[in-house]
Amino acid sequence: MPYESVLNRRGFLGLAAAGATAAVLPGCAGETASSTGGQPRSGGRLRAAFAGGGAAEVLDPHKTSLYVEIARAKALFDKLADYGSDMTPQPRLAERWEPSADLRTWRITLRQATFHDGRPVRARDVLASFARIVEPGSTFRAKSSLAVIDLANSRAIDDRTVEFRLKRPYAEFPNALATIGTAIIPEGTTNFDRPIGSGPFKFSSFAPGRSFVATRNPDYWDGTPYLDELEIVVTNDEAARVNALLGRQVEYAHDLTPTSARTHEQSGQLQVHRLPLSNFQGLAMKVDRPPFNRPELRQALFHLVDRDELVRSVFQGSGQLCNDLYGKGYRYYAGSLPQRNQDLDRARALVKQAGAEGMTIDFDTSEASTGLKEAALAISDQARKIGLNLNVKLGTKDTYWADIAKNGVLASYRSGGMPLESHISQRLLTTSTTNNTKWQRPGFDALYYQAQSTTDEARRAELYLQIQQQLFDEGGFLWWGVSDWIVASASNVNGISAQAPANTLDWARYDKVWLA
Amino acid sequence: MRVARRYAVPGVLVRRYAVPGMLVAVPVLLALVGPVIASDDTTKDVAFVLGGGHWFGTDFVGRDVWNEVLLGGRSLVVVAVVATVCTYLIAVPVGLVAGMTRNRLLDEAVMRPLDLLLAVPSMLMLLLLASVAPGIPWVLIGVVVLINLPDVVRISRAAALSVSARPAVEAMRLQGESRIRIGLGYVARAMRRTLAADLGTRFTGAIYLVASASFLGVGVSPQTSDWAAMVDRNRTGLFVQPWAVVLPALLIVMLSIGVNLAFDRWLRDRAMEGVAR
Amino acid sequence: MTLPSYVARRTLLGVIQVPLVMCGVFFLAEALPGDAAVTIAGDNPDPAIIAVLRERLGLNEPAWHRLGDWLAAALHGDFGQSLVGPRSVVDIIASAAGPTLLLAGLTLVLLIPLSVGLGVLAANREGSRLDRLITSTTLGLYSAPEFAMGLLIVTVFAVQLRWLPPTAVGTSLLSNPAVLVIPVFVLLLRPICSLSRLIRAGMIDAQRSEYVRHVRRIGLSPTRVRFAHALPNAVTPAIQQLARTIDWLVGGVIVIEAIFVVPGLGTTLVQAVAARDLPVIQGLAVVFATTTVLVNLAADVAARVLSPTAEAGR
Repeated sequence: MPYESVLNRRGFLGLAAAGATAAVLPGCAGETASSTGGQPRSGGRLRAAFAGGGAAEVLDPHKTSLYVEIARAKALFDKLADYGSDMTPQPRLAERWEPSADLRTWRITLRQATFHDGRPVRARDVLASFARIVEPGSTFRAKSSLAVIDLANSRAIDDRTVEFRLKRPYAEFPNALATIGTAIIPEGTTNFDRPIGSGPFKFSSFAPGRSFVATRNPDYWDGTPYLDELEIVVTNDEAARVNALLGRQVEYAHDLTPTSARTHEQSGQLQVHRLPLSNFQGLAMKVDRPPFNRPELRQALFHLVDRDELVRSVFQGSGQLCNDLYGKGYRYYAGSLPQRNQDLDRARALVKQAGAEGMTIDFDTSEASTGLKEAALAISDQARKIGLNLNVKLGTKDTYWADIAKNGVLASYRSGGMPLESHISQRLLTTSTTNNTKWQRPGFDALYYQAQSTTDEARRAELYLQIQQQLFDEGGFLWWGVSDWIVASASNVNGISAQAPANTLDWARYDKVWLA
Repeated sequence: MRVARRYAVPGVLVRRYAVPGMLVAVPVLLALVGPVIASDDTTKDVAFVLGGGHWFGTDFVGRDVWNEVLLGGRSLVVVAVVATVCTYLIAVPVGLVAGMTRNRLLDEAVMRPLDLLLAVPSMLMLLLLASVAPGIPWVLIGVVVLINLPDVVRISRAAALSVSARPAVEAMRLQGESRIRIGLGYVARAMRRTLAADLGTRFTGAIYLVASASFLGVGVSPQTSDWAAMVDRNRTGLFVQPWAVVLPALLIVMLSIGVNLAFDRWLRDRAMEGVAR
Repeated sequence: MTLPSYVARRTLLGVIQVPLVMCGVFFLAEALPGDAAVTIAGDNPDPAIIAVLRERLGLNEPAWHRLGDWLAAALHGDFGQSLVGPRSVVDIIASAAGPTLLLAGLTLVLLIPLSVGLGVLAANREGSRLDRLITSTTLGLYSAPEFAMGLLIVTVFAVQLRWLPPTAVGTSLLSNPAVLVIPVFVLLLRPICSLSRLIRAGMIDAQRSEYVRHVRRIGLSPTRVRFAHALPNAVTPAIQQLARTIDWLVGGVIVIEAIFVVPGLGTTLVQAVAARDLPVIQGLAVVFATTTVLVNLAADVAARVLSPTAEAGR
């Protein structure tokens, strides 16, 4: 008997925190573009299909790493802040925040909100939640983002005021409060079999890898949700998600391919939403080892890549080209730099300068995320035109991110949206935990810390420009494009934001969704 | 006699084998000649378009489907044929020995280790080996052989067993014919219908194992083109651009049906010949 | 050897086989690149976090040590905890086994009469138009890629015509049996071909055998000859194939499970391998190996019963 596997684990959100559309859309949190309009009405049940992680899925909101886990955590819990559609952190459970002049002490005022069991959300719950995440020996995702907090010297001033003491000046501290996996849980929670949060829906039932049901929280501080009930079902097969939607077994399908979108958007049977600026795609070149320790060779690749061809063939038009820098359209993005285009002569000359003519270079890729392999194949074909042989090696998708962190010289890379500050601190500082390009330069680190130590907004913008100019000239990342995140819904579903990138506040925000 | 005379007429032979012959010839010729006439232009177009200067549209990364078809047959045909032939070369003699021997210990000594292999879930074996040693065609051939080996041994043993219990074999044995002569001369010949029925599907199965393996990342490197891998990789576009799936799938179906039909025809002719004699 | 002592001996062999398979699977799984700590870290491979996870999951222990612990616990019926989630291995496998067994059972109930019927029919009219029709149709279905067939059938009958639900997402299989129709149909396509071909071949051989010719000469009715004498001899090779099919239905229908969203054992296996969740892989291997040993034993016993002359010499 022949066997075939089709389980393409697309569930991982990738190196994502959040993101939004600063320049494009100066909106505010909570703005939702309803699709067919009309007066929102209450009632009904929404069934949403996501890719998932099977029997290993959990409801612990600090352990979230799959999109489906984040969507469930979002239904049940709140964070202090979340990324709004204008890219900056938007206050959520935090009503407002005020830094001290040295940017090392932050006073957070909490909103009046209650957990599902009626207890109020207090400052102590916030401190306990963060203590759980950063305690020694914990392995939570947000640990490195919250490590900047000096918890021993932070305190609850009263029930609704927290004062955080930081280990260093941090002008964009609210970014950390909006990071994935920083949900506020009631103090003392250890068991998440029947989780209690402060979110828009109350827990009802959960079968790992299959389904999750939650009911409306009528006392939600941000307005009562319209839906009576939310059900999230799991299937890793994209075709199955589309078929379930077409067969009216679900009303919302998350994460579709551009091909499916093209197939069904004309038929009028369903609505397709392309969430822009969601998924950055690029190459990671390791600058600490041959051959990419030669800046000329990195620049050769900058001039080699035909970004238009990649957007056309890999994204099938569902996305846009980038300028090798991360965070197009986000706050502090250096949009003023000239757009690079393919220049084969220049690339050839640079290869020659680097002494790399006719060189064979291993190019790691995998199916860990959609499009990685396709882009690698296309770039390898493009490289042949300048006499570089990029030998595409398909790695194991399950361990891909750890493999390329340590080994190899050139790898396919992707990232979800997150503020520029998070991108830099997680990947480009000497101390970064996932510094995949091995970009470790004290001078560069200093620029970042300067930017975080100044209260002067204009000065910070200028420092960000300097940082990005360095990366643009000789960095190890080559971000060639950013694709849309595609979700689809039945025609009677309203209130889905079409502008919110994946993982921002308005993505998978079911409290604002209503059924016509 | 009538049957035997029919063989004297080449025209009849051609007519009888025309259909399976065609079915086999088209994919095999494409597989062998294709890489020579394929273009090495690698420009990418939009993924999954129909037309637009491409006979059969483009595939999942915007490559020309016809060009991929030209390039993608050789590896598939070679791996599937080599793997199937290897399986049978090893399995049939082993099954024959185990089925014909009167020594129970020998039978057990041959069959029980194979049972062990059989008990390793094949999907698990493919998944594990695919991840341990990716990218090498010989590993893939080895895995396909390992997965099929216990099956074919068991089937040939079962067939040999039932044949060797026939009175004819008993009689031969009493007449002092040697084991080898009985085995090769009678039992193996009598088993061939069962084996041929199995071989055709086994060959098809090998092709699809290659497909699943390519999906799991073993055997077929992402840069090489391969019909079986095409079927899998292009399936997302099945309803926008069916050719990228249908064309390679059609070639595989042709090859598979052709091989099976040819075996059936050949068997029937041999059988009739036998009766006529 | 009598049948009971044969069964006893084979069972004993199976009891040795299963742990041996376990050890093989364990070392193969050990040889996989990466481990559970790496897959939990996923796209955020912070070395410090991976080190902590490795320590916590006991992955720093030598492999033979972990295998020994696992085997000792398994002997007492304790199959351990999943490395990546909070559930026990038994719990995970038990909840995945239901859907798989239901699908497999239904498929078998339909498969056996259908393939025997088609095989016998084709064999009786060997060389006729009917024979050719049956042979080439089943072959064509066998050669067509099963996920393409699956998608096509879903699109036509579930999405376009809306006769049947396209997937089993969010429903239990038993409460809504309509969701089973398409998966079972697609599951049947390939085994029907391989089985009916073997039965046809065996039938033709058997009807030509001296034994059946003899029975025919005695003057028994053709139907009786066919089903009481020729068929039992003809199905011996097919029974082996049936055993393999059952094996496949229990552990290998990953494509069908994925397309129709059936959270069964195949899906669980793929997820466990992807997560390097060794205890779950081991637990599944126990289930699969035991199934294999049992169905093969059953197949061999059935072969002895149906065709007693063949095994008489043993």
